[in-house]
Amino acid sequence: MPKVVIDGRTVEVEAGTNLIDAGQRVGVQIPHYCYHPRLSVVGQCRMCLVKIEGAPKLQTACTTQVMKDGMVVKVDDEEVKAAQEGMMEFLLINHPLDCPICDQAGECGLQDYSFKHGQAFSRFEYAEKRIYPGRERIPLGPSVVLNMNRCIQCTRCVRFTEEVSGGGELGFFQRGARAEIGVFPGKELAGPLATCVVDICPVGALTSREFRFAERVWYLDRKPSLCTGCDVGCNVTIEHRKGAIRRYKPRFNPAVNDYWMCDYGRGTFRRYQELERLSTPTLRGAQGEPRPTGWREAIEALEQGLQNAAGTPIAVLASGSLTTEEAFVLARWADRLQTPHRATWREDGVERRIPNPNGGIRGSETEPNRRGCELAGLVPGPEGASAADLMEGDAAARCGFLLVADGDFGAAAHDPEVVERLRGADFMAVIGWAATPLARVADVALPVTTHAEREGTFVNSASRLQRFERAFPPPTGVRPTLELLIELLARRDAQWAGLTAPDVFGRMAQTLPALAGRTYRGIPAHGIELESGEDG
Amino acid sequence: MSAWEPVLSRNFGRTEARTLEGYRRGGGYEGLQRALGMEPEEVIEEVKTSGLRGRGGAGFPAGLKWSFIPKATDKRKFLVCNADESEPGTFKDRFLMENDPHQLIEGCAICCYAVGASTCYIYIRGEYGEPANILEQAIREAYEAGVLGERSLGKGPRIDIFVHRGAGAYICGEETGMLESLEGKRGQPRVKPPFPAVVGAFAAPTVINNVETLCNLPHILARGAAWFRGIGTDERNTGPKLYCLSGHVARPGVYEHPIGVSLEQLLDGAGGMFRGRQLKAYIPGGASAALLRADEARIPMDFDNLAKAGSMLGSAAVIVMDESTCLVRAVRRLAHFFEHESCGQCTPCREGTHWSAMILDRIEAGRGSAGDADLLVRVTRNMSGTALCALADAAVGPVRSLVTRFRDEVDAHVAGGACPLPYRPLFTAEAS
Repeated sequence: MPKVVIDGRTVEVEAGTNLIDAGQRVGVQIPHYCYHPRLSVVGQCRMCLVKIEGAPKLQTACTTQVMKDGMVVKVDDEEVKAAQEGMMEFLLINHPLDCPICDQAGECGLQDYSFKHGQAFSRFEYAEKRIYPGRERIPLGPSVVLNMNRCIQCTRCVRFTEEVSGGGELGFFQRGARAEIGVFPGKELAGPLATCVVDICPVGALTSREFRFAERVWYLDRKPSLCTGCDVGCNVTIEHRKGAIRRYKPRFNPAVNDYWMCDYGRGTFRRYQELERLSTPTLRGAQGEPRPTGWREAIEALEQGLQNAAGTPIAVLASGSLTTEEAFVLARWADRLQTPHRATWREDGVERRIPNPNGGIRGSETEPNRRGCELAGLVPGPEGASAADLMEGDAAARCGFLLVADGDFGAAAHDPEVVERLRGADFMAVIGWAATPLARVADVALPVTTHAEREGTFVNSASRLQRFERAFPPPTGVRPTLELLIELLARRDAQWAGLTAPDVFGRMAQTLPALAGRTYRGIPAHGIELESGEDG
Repeated sequence: MSAWEPVLSRNFGRTEARTLEGYRRGGGYEGLQRALGMEPEEVIEEVKTSGLRGRGGAGFPAGLKWSFIPKATDKRKFLVCNADESEPGTFKDRFLMENDPHQLIEGCAICCYAVGASTCYIYIRGEYGEPANILEQAIREAYEAGVLGERSLGKGPRIDIFVHRGAGAYICGEETGMLESLEGKRGQPRVKPPFPAVVGAFAAPTVINNVETLCNLPHILARGAAWFRGIGTDERNTGPKLYCLSGHVARPGVYEHPIGVSLEQLLDGAGGMFRGRQLKAYIPGGASAALLRADEARIPMDFDNLAKAGSMLGSAAVIVMDESTCLVRAVRRLAHFFEHESCGQCTPCREGTHWSAMILDRIEAGRGSAGDADLLVRVTRNMSGTALCALADAAVGPVRSLVTRFRDEVDAHVAGGACPLPYRPLFTAEAS
């Protein structure tokens, strides 16, 4: 592989690597706007000009590929700095500089590079600024709004629709200083990936209708997580303010969602805000109404229900929203009760596709971790009732005890018929974060965490196991799902007492061949591909 | 100059030369005849030896450009003739196509044969309706006579020529912008490398030559490289050259001279200055060339001498300005041209052409401030050599030369708060 020297640091890269990527490997940041690793290289913004030994003038790093040994590149250089300053000035002369009322402020490429590469004064006469009258808030489609005055004509969005999403809705119109972005006549930016153009827009020209003006970004706390909208398992960053999620942003994972995620997934956190939260344990009152109670009473009621059910079938119905660790603990609990009736509900929904370098990934299930739950052992034993038997047949009516976790298992949890069938069990316990119709009719309902409030692993549609972090703590009165399940299990097997997600993962690694030798902390950033056993 | 026999323009005004018969009577298609008797490599060698440099503006050696076309490739190759003559002040290609279309067709055929291209597109600017019709007519004739088509002149390879009319954008005269437009896309330059010789029209190896460059080929082939080398200033500046003379000149027009004629000599052959007025400044090579002062009128106008003087031969569009001309206004007009024609994709050109036009607006209107001349220097410096294609550098040419060579005129505008020159219409009652 050819070697290149960038600011005195030598790096060996694959032939054809461009200088921006090569620089990144040795910690040399080359500023750029139009370049994006997944879009065609156009060399338009001219921010990445660098000096190459032997070249008569500065060259754009994005268009320069390392083909053979001997290239010597200078980024920390007076001439390069002057060019960067010049480009920043050009980009800013016609920019509104209305950062205080711009949604992008705080995560803006212009602000960042101005600070780093620009100058502190303007030589431009304010009255001469070019503006696009009437083009300040143009809806490009249902989810994206364009403010042409803020655009720096990098055309990332145009290339995205041509090359990644494939819709080709956006075009570059007019010429020169009047050049502008727009949708082609009769089209709108409406595909499932539409909002990705907001992510790749380096400035405040494209904003998401959902998020714009919802929050100043510097108030947001960020944590790496996973989208729970389907079983693709898009890597996301949860951005929240004091536990109120404001948005999901896609997090780079070339093996899964690459740089993208779908608009549906972006909106899934709203469920946490729209559904009523189960905020305290409840018991079933005299008229069947939920009656708040304390945790100790609730767990005792559950244990009592189990005792009463002795000799009758006991069933566990899980949803794919449990983490693999939770499912593993629940399965061990079912082991102790010696019941074969343990099932994971699978629900198929709209097929979602996300492009990535390996030809893309698709998912069609509504829950993120059905595969992980089954891997952990939540599958019917011999003669055990399946999820369909419980939810669509009359298996529940034969049960003396039924535990449902998590209670918000998709559309079915809100279907009165399903609720009635499950309610046919003599005693029904529901573990869940939401006050679903099912939770409301449970003999005991136990409030637990949303996925943003807990940590663990999910296994996606391509059998990739991925870890996510807790974004923020649960509200008072709500217990972490794993902690609760561990407590239930520890009552029957004390050696589980006090275990945490990493500990449980360790036990899984000892029992499940697919995870042999793995540790929780050792899960690579891009996950583990379980079937071939390779790291991503 | 009297001994000079026109070469490229010898058929100008001879209307019969527009027909194949008439063209042949004047010795036409002998160059192609000779070329087809040679190996393609020999033709390239002959053109290399002649020292012919591109007449479109950049002055790149034509033979060398051809030799960049990969030999071992199974891809189809193309010749694209750049007839998008849109540099302000330039009108030589139009004369060539209108007066002598077969000269261009012959040149295209020779080039196709030399580089192994079977298809040639003549990309002609949209405004050139009449020349396009004349060319089409001549091409039809050439097909009928067997010059083009299945076997060129009965012994050569297949050669096809198509006329493609542009939609009227200056940027489509930039070679990669032209290729984009030819392919039906938005006309804006491509990133180079890869160069068109490797990845050109329809991703195939492509030679792009200017009309005048190609028109030289029949003569080089018919009369030999040595004859061609004998014309001009030196071995790097050879051959005949068409100069487009316009502005305050008694008889504006296209004049053919050996390359390297000076403005003084050019004016001598064109009746001198308009009404005998004093020369103030001139642009030697089209709107993108730096302005030269009257005391620089003896510089031989060839590639190297003009480059040495800080300007360029460009398309050899010589625009003459007399002492009544407000240079700020003239350059402002050019700046607006470039602002209008910038394609808008890259930052320094899009923003720089716009900004410099606005600064010149206020200087010309008498609203300029003391720092504006220096600001123009800084803005043009940031535009130089930083853009994706040559348009930004072209826009810098006249503006930079205004503030460096004619600084006092800029300062007079700023200091006086108005244009110091009285407005003088070109035609007044006393004369007409």
